[in-house]
Amino acid sequence: MKNPARQNGDEAELIERARSGDSEAFGVLVERYQRRVVGVAMAVVHNEDDALELAQETFVRAFENLSKFESRSSFSTWLYRIAANLAIDFWRREGRRTVLHGEDAEIEIGRMPSPQGDSFKAASRTELSGRLKQALEELTPEHRAVILLREVEGLSYDEISETLQCPRGTVMSRLHYARGRLREILKDIGEN
Amino acid sequence: MSGCNEIGLMLGAFEDGELEPHEMQEVAFHLARCQACTAEISGIATIGRELRAIAPAPSLAGFAAKVKTRIDNLPAPLTARISRSISRRFGAIGSGLAWGGAIAAVAAMATLLMTPYAERFTNQYNNAAPTVAMLAHDAARVPDEIAKVLPEAIPADDRATLAGDSQAVILRLESEIPSVAVWNEPRTGTPVIWVPDQQQPQL
Repeated sequence: MKNPARQNGDEAELIERARSGDSEAFGVLVERYQRRVVGVAMAVVHNEDDALELAQETFVRAFENLSKFESRSSFSTWLYRIAANLAIDFWRREGRRTVLHGEDAEIEIGRMPSPQGDSFKAASRTELSGRLKQALEELTPEHRAVILLREVEGLSYDEISETLQCPRGTVMSRLHYARGRLREILKDIGEN
Repeated sequence: MSGCNEIGLMLGAFEDGELEPHEMQEVAFHLARCQACTAEISGIATIGRELRAIAPAPSLAGFAAKVKTRIDNLPAPLTARISRSISRRFGAIGSGLAWGGAIAAVAAMATLLMTPYAERFTNQYNNAAPTVAMLAHDAARVPDEIAKVLPEAIPADDRATLAGDSQAVILRLESEIPSVAVWNEPRTGTPVIWVPDQQQPQL
């Protein structure tokens, strides 16, 4: 986990300038953390458009509340926590629904096995991806967030614990459950 | 030596490198002789790979610009507005000095506005016991009474002036009834008792 004490001087200066209303300085921080913040939101809501909207909102809220940020904690983890809270609230409010539009929908259709040309391997790979996505949808946002933050975003257990505001032990047990659930699905596909 | 059930709970954390050193060692020893757990850990690694493979990579083109536009359209926080305004006016002096000046000005203004109320409040509670025998119905004799308590050394004319000096500073009220006042005349340091003639207490 990133030690706040090791937070580099450049970042501390950018935060200080942003605190006094310098949006250019804050822009540098946005560039630095945008990919991870979108990733955190994606881990919870599992929808690209919503995740991008939530990530924007995360940065706006962060800018508005910079005075509340205490440099004892890491700036990145503080951002991820805002993103996770917004995303979990959004998910609870909107319920789980995945609606694909335009290009996303075409990509998904393209991934479906075609009776003519696809090899068996390609088809089973597509099936695996489809089943994994479905399994992810079936997980609670908390379980999904934990496994995606770990496997896709590469966050440490401590960072996940701080981001989702739950004990490290809870992170471990949620990961264990989520992995077990996904393993079952993979096993089913392997056996078929 | 731990069994598969116990080790199974630690396999994910082992794969993630999140166990304590002695636990890492324990799991590694177990894996060396347990095929089931080795297969399990291989499955965990596969899940990670598959999840990374299907993870969408949203396009971030223009993302930072959109955030900046939203931030620039936010109403500026009060502190930032004050700071900017001060910087514009006192750019050469430096914002620290300007802030100090602004705070001092606000403090001075607050003191000026609050002092009369604070004095009234203090007097109200400091002078609960009525210690002055002079009552309002004696108001007609006030100048004479005041003159009596002034030192003999003060000339008669000055004593008359002092007794009627409305500019003197009131130090405390000596009665619960706000009709009698005692103060030190600033020029002579003499205590002065004063009863305003417009108030008639109910006796």
